[in-house]
Amino acid sequence: RIMPVRWSRYNPSYLEPEAKKESYQKPLEELTEEEREHMELKAVRPIKAAPPSLSSSVFSDPMISKFTNMMMKSGNKVLARSLMSQTLEAIKRKQLEKYHKAPENEKETIECNPYVIFHQALKNCQPIIGLSNITKGGKTYQVPVPLTDNRKRFLAMKWLITECRENKHRRTLMPEKLSQELLLAFNNEGPVIKKKHILHKMAEANRAYAHFRWW
Amino acid sequence: QLDRGCALHTAARGGLSSVSSQDVPAQRPRAIFHTSESDPAKHTEQHEGRLYNIPLEEVKAVFPHGLPHRFQQQIQTFNEARVMVRKPALEILAYLKGSNFAHPAVRYVIYGERGTGKTMTLCHVVHYCSRQGWLVLHVPDAHLWVKNCKELFQSSYNKDRLDQPLQASVWLKNFKTSNERFLQEIKTQKKYMWGKRESTEEGRPLREVVEQGLARVRSASDAVGVVLREIKQQSHRGSFRLLVAVDGVNALWGRTTLSKEDKSPVSPEELTLVHNLRKMVTNDWNGGAIVTTLSQTGSLFKPSSAYTPQELLGKEGFDALDPFVPIPVPNYSPREFESCYGYYLERKWLQHEKAHTEDGKAELQFLSGSNPRQLDRLAGPL
Repeated sequence: RIMPVRWSRYNPSYLEPEAKKESYQKPLEELTEEEREHMELKAVRPIKAAPPSLSSSVFSDPMISKFTNMMMKSGNKVLARSLMSQTLEAIKRKQLEKYHKAPENEKETIECNPYVIFHQALKNCQPIIGLSNITKGGKTYQVPVPLTDNRKRFLAMKWLITECRENKHRRTLMPEKLSQELLLAFNNEGPVIKKKHILHKMAEANRAYAHFRWW
Repeated sequence: QLDRGCALHTAARGGLSSVSSQDVPAQRPRAIFHTSESDPAKHTEQHEGRLYNIPLEEVKAVFPHGLPHRFQQQIQTFNEARVMVRKPALEILAYLKGSNFAHPAVRYVIYGERGTGKTMTLCHVVHYCSRQGWLVLHVPDAHLWVKNCKELFQSSYNKDRLDQPLQASVWLKNFKTSNERFLQEIKTQKKYMWGKRESTEEGRPLREVVEQGLARVRSASDAVGVVLREIKQQSHRGSFRLLVAVDGVNALWGRTTLSKEDKSPVSPEELTLVHNLRKMVTNDWNGGAIVTTLSQTGSLFKPSSAYTPQELLGKEGFDALDPFVPIPVPNYSPREFESCYGYYLERKWLQHEKAHTEDGKAELQFLSGSNPRQLDRLAGPL
């Protein structure tokens, strides 16, 4: 009989697994007081099972894994991960071709690292303020509301993925569509940035209802 | 550190980088992975593990259809074609240089696990032979002839056999691009009838046969058969050397996924192209060599762990190709891995910050298992 482990509630005494190599390579003398206590605790307390997405690789990036999980359909992580790697490769190829054709003085301005482009594009797509539906006196109003960091990241990724899935030609492949969108977002152009601006404008227009918020 | 020191000494003797950008002194340790020797005839063990450059015009002339898809993408991104010089290729080149062309053609079978560089070794040999002025008969992938064929016609020459006009015409077009001058020199020795009205007289250049095959697509497979026959008969005269380079030779003796109109399966002998190619691969002619590659990747009905000649060729194929010289192609040696890694760094293909560190390099080596294809796939997104 399989005991479910990850989504069941662990006893609070269970500790998180540590995946980074650097933390195990430090000699005993260099540890601070808290770290020594933590080491002693780990000798006594049980440890939670490591999730499959936890990796000790130097190349792993939490944002990229989040994005891959959002792109995944019906649990097909293999396909989602291969699409993500093909996207990063496509971005790199396009930028490298531009780099090699550009004259000497422009070469420093062209960014070729797909991870930098990805992070910057996501940052450019994140909205600063969002709208939430608040019902007062029978009517629902769109009230401008501050967003948490997690919500901003989620919205940026969601918009990018839905934009690629719906508003493109049926026959183009996802890596191609995504790389195009990410490059446009990196340069602050494109439909996702436009959507962010529309949201900001709506929030500015509904400024009068801001006092409906009670949190 | 020591390895780089020794390699620098050999580099001082062997000639340094041919990269046209300015050689900043900080880049010198990386530049030893290149060699300026772009003629395969002069490659020796000294050049092992180094990458040599093929000029882009030569690539278009010599390889209209031979290179793997990912390598073609790499040529387009980096704007240059760099091939690594490895031991199996050097072995074949040594045998070719020392072979006696009065004896029957020797067959070389390149085998190895998936993604170890068999096709690239074949391309290296083809480049050498075309530089030496041989006539190169390069079949990029024999598996393409036994699967996914949309049009199959009954051959007019022999009622039992089946024609494949599309594949034959594509191959003829590429053959024409790679061997222009030979088609002008070689003359036909017999009169050939294409249907009731058209014919090619005796003594006409082979170019006309090829053009006939391209113009009348229906008779393209027969044109291919005629070309192969003429070349085989005239190779022993010694006016030219012939190299038969077939990639995925195990397709000629397996099963096909094609079927006739009454849904019965087609065996490879019933296809004209495969039948004629089998005659080329037998060693009853002299004045050249036959270099072939086994390939599991495109093969039909073979398990993915099969890579030895016995498993992939089957009994029939092994008996037909026996005796041959087997050439195994292993994964990258540590030196070759360093060379490939250094090349990717220099061309700015590895962009991730951690990829430049020792940890990143060790991780790449471990994850890829020094397999060239896995390294290429891993380095793509990084």
